[in-house]
Amino acid sequence: MIGLRKSTFAMLAPGLGLLAVFILVPIALTVWLAFTKWSSQTPFTTATFVGLDNFREIFGSSSVGRDFKGAMLNTALYSAMSIALILPLSVVFGMLIHQAELKGANVLRTILFATYMVPMIAVALVFSKLYSPTEGPINQLLSLVGIGPQPWLSSPDTALVSIVLLNVWQQVGYFTILIIAGLTQIPTSIYEAARMDGARGPALFGFITLPLLKRTLLFSAVIALINAVQVFEPVALITQGGPVGSTNVMTYHIRRVGIERAQGGLGSAMSVTLLLALVITVTAVFAFARREDRR
Amino acid sequence: MSAQGRLPATGAGVTGWRAFLYLLMIAIAVASAFPLVWMVLSSLKTPAEAMQTPPVWIPQTPSLDAYQKVNELIRVGRSFANSAVIAGITTAGILLTSLMAGYAFAKYRFRNREVLFAITIATMFLPPIVTLIPLYRLVGTIGLNASLAGVIVPNLANAFGIFLMRQFIAGVPDELLEAARLDGASEFRILFRIVAPAVAPALAALALFAFVYHWNSYLWPLTVLQGNSDNYPIVISLSRLLSYNRSAVNTGLVMAGATLAVLPPLILFVFLQRFFVRTITASGMTGQ
Repeated sequence: MIGLRKSTFAMLAPGLGLLAVFILVPIALTVWLAFTKWSSQTPFTTATFVGLDNFREIFGSSSVGRDFKGAMLNTALYSAMSIALILPLSVVFGMLIHQAELKGANVLRTILFATYMVPMIAVALVFSKLYSPTEGPINQLLSLVGIGPQPWLSSPDTALVSIVLLNVWQQVGYFTILIIAGLTQIPTSIYEAARMDGARGPALFGFITLPLLKRTLLFSAVIALINAVQVFEPVALITQGGPVGSTNVMTYHIRRVGIERAQGGLGSAMSVTLLLALVITVTAVFAFARREDRR
Repeated sequence: MSAQGRLPATGAGVTGWRAFLYLLMIAIAVASAFPLVWMVLSSLKTPAEAMQTPPVWIPQTPSLDAYQKVNELIRVGRSFANSAVIAGITTAGILLTSLMAGYAFAKYRFRNREVLFAITIATMFLPPIVTLIPLYRLVGTIGLNASLAGVIVPNLANAFGIFLMRQFIAGVPDELLEAARLDGASEFRILFRIVAPAVAPALAALALFAFVYHWNSYLWPLTVLQGNSDNYPIVISLSRLLSYNRSAVNTGLVMAGATLAVLPPLILFVFLQRFFVRTITASGMTGQ
């Protein structure tokens, strides 16, 4: 460790400078613009201060408010379902690959993780065909086991879940690798000691694996949440937020309002609300985890 | 992969259980591979085969016609070149800025170091949509809208890269750097001649990750390019095939396009998988 003032500045300036200009400044701009009326097709100087008007509108009972609250709810549902599926699956997959000592486990890891490399646009295109109610292979396969055709993306009841499933398909391999990394941190000696005391399968999992994976699971949940909020391609490409607004999620909605309709102030107010919601959620999750630790 | 944390096999009476585990493993592998296998198989079907009921799973007369048709509808070569330029230059920038900032955070002592690092890490968790609207205008203000530079420049630095480099550079022995300083080497020479080679595997991992991420990225290029199709990367050009997505006749066409976009990242992954795994494993350390 040394203190070299000139070198320190030279080393940090490019990286932190870029982050400041292209992330911190835009965050500050978003917060400021949220309190203005501004067309995103015009310079920042045309923004006029309107106080809390944008927030009143997006939380109000007009169609703007209805659409926004719908998008918040859809994103919350989408995130909750994604996390609820990804975390347990990645734990099962991780244990299967890392702890069960099966031949070919590495092949499974490769196949699982390969899906994470596929561009979301291709995932969206492929699943739009797989889900096709009439000639899609998924309904064909379901009919083999006696399950009738599902409407998938074409019904407001199932469209959001369908997108959750394609998201889980794409991401579960990434989280499996994270879980495996967490599993490798658990010393074998703890398992051996517990085994000597007569602990078996479920007890080992409940009293050793799960508690010692808690930090990894917490980190995974936060990453899964941040990823879930970013869902865009399947909605933009296939459903355009429908049917009847059932897949209108935040990233899609904010972009439509703020860029396509050029309502920059309104869109920024939505962005700020999303950011606050995320900060509150993540803080609450960590606070909850810490309280659990103390007990 | 270390043997640590593995469960020893638990004696007799487990044959049935192990058979179940193998079946489970195969089922997961099939479910995971199925969409991609189906994509490639469908891209080789003729329109007639794509329409058949009950469906043909494996094309009887595989043809590359669909790929040719894709090439007529979108400029595949141009799109690939755009993708390569975007992903390539962005990756080079990320490597350089991450190496430099990671070195400073790992090996220099300066005021507010922990605060600056914490702010850097925090930006890692920011969903891009939060800054999309002002960023779009900002890039327009500096005259980069609708250009490849507009896609590239805002992404030349990356908090995850800085974090990853700091983690690995912290493991480079201080004595090595001190010895070079005594020999009169400049800090940049130390960085490129000693530190960079010492963390080469981590740099390779970061390079692959950044390349695939920016090859696949959709939201930002779509927003900044504003319909300037000359500069479309392949993932955006593909959305032009969507108008063919309505009828089953064109399934092969759409799947050929999807296959084209998938191939480069997937090929990189198949050959260099261990680097990817190492990067994710390291990223998990933020949670530790």
